[in-house]
Amino acid sequence: MTDHSPLERRYRRWLALYPKSFRAEHEDEMVAVLMQGAGPDQTHPRLSEAVDLARHGLRRRASARRFPSRWERQHANVMFPVRILIALWLCFISAVLIGFHRAELWLLLTVPAILLHLYIAYRIRPGAAPR
Amino acid sequence: MQEASFLILTALAGSSQHGYGIVTDVAQISGGKVQLKAGTLYTALDRLSADGLIEPDREEIVDNRLRRYYRITRDGAERLADEADRLRANAHAALTRLRPGVAIS
Repeated sequence: MTDHSPLERRYRRWLALYPKSFRAEHEDEMVAVLMQGAGPDQTHPRLSEAVDLARHGLRRRASARRFPSRWERQHANVMFPVRILIALWLCFISAVLIGFHRAELWLLLTVPAILLHLYIAYRIRPGAAPR
Repeated sequence: MQEASFLILTALAGSSQHGYGIVTDVAQISGGKVQLKAGTLYTALDRLSADGLIEPDREEIVDNRLRRYYRITRDGAERLADEADRLRANAHAALTRLRPGVAIS
């Protein structure tokens, strides 16, 4: 791990989003591909590359933890609308809380919950790849 | 089969290749339309390996960098042939309906 160029270190930082087992298998080949694709004066990962690594790395990590669960995927035709409805309901609750109680602090709780439900809905959306 | 997987199998159908070789070959096959990113590429390679459609071939170290070559398996070649037949049938149907009365050879 010595003598890495700044660009390579930055790529490896993004690759750290992948689970350890995947990195043990593929990190060095992926660095080779990324470095070969880099321009001569490039010092930072391109935004599109970083987004791609984050997307696939986090997805990998999530599926390693069986998230969303296999059961939820198999019942996606029911759970997709359920997740959307829960998210909408939480939006409604948030609006009520703010409107009547001026309790913006609740947003710290409701906004992440809404995003989580929407993310799960996105992952099990109709036509999504099984993994 | 997703387009990326189809193009990767097509690239490997010619000869075994390493990661960056696949990226450039897929770009060429697709007329520059598909530029595989590292994350997408290795998600697909990992999946194709798990399904037994490709397998690691050999490894080389070039300029201190690991090059792992992948090759298509017999199953992979069969799946690719089936998929290519399916796409040809679909394309044929589309072209036939777009130009009714004109037979396409």
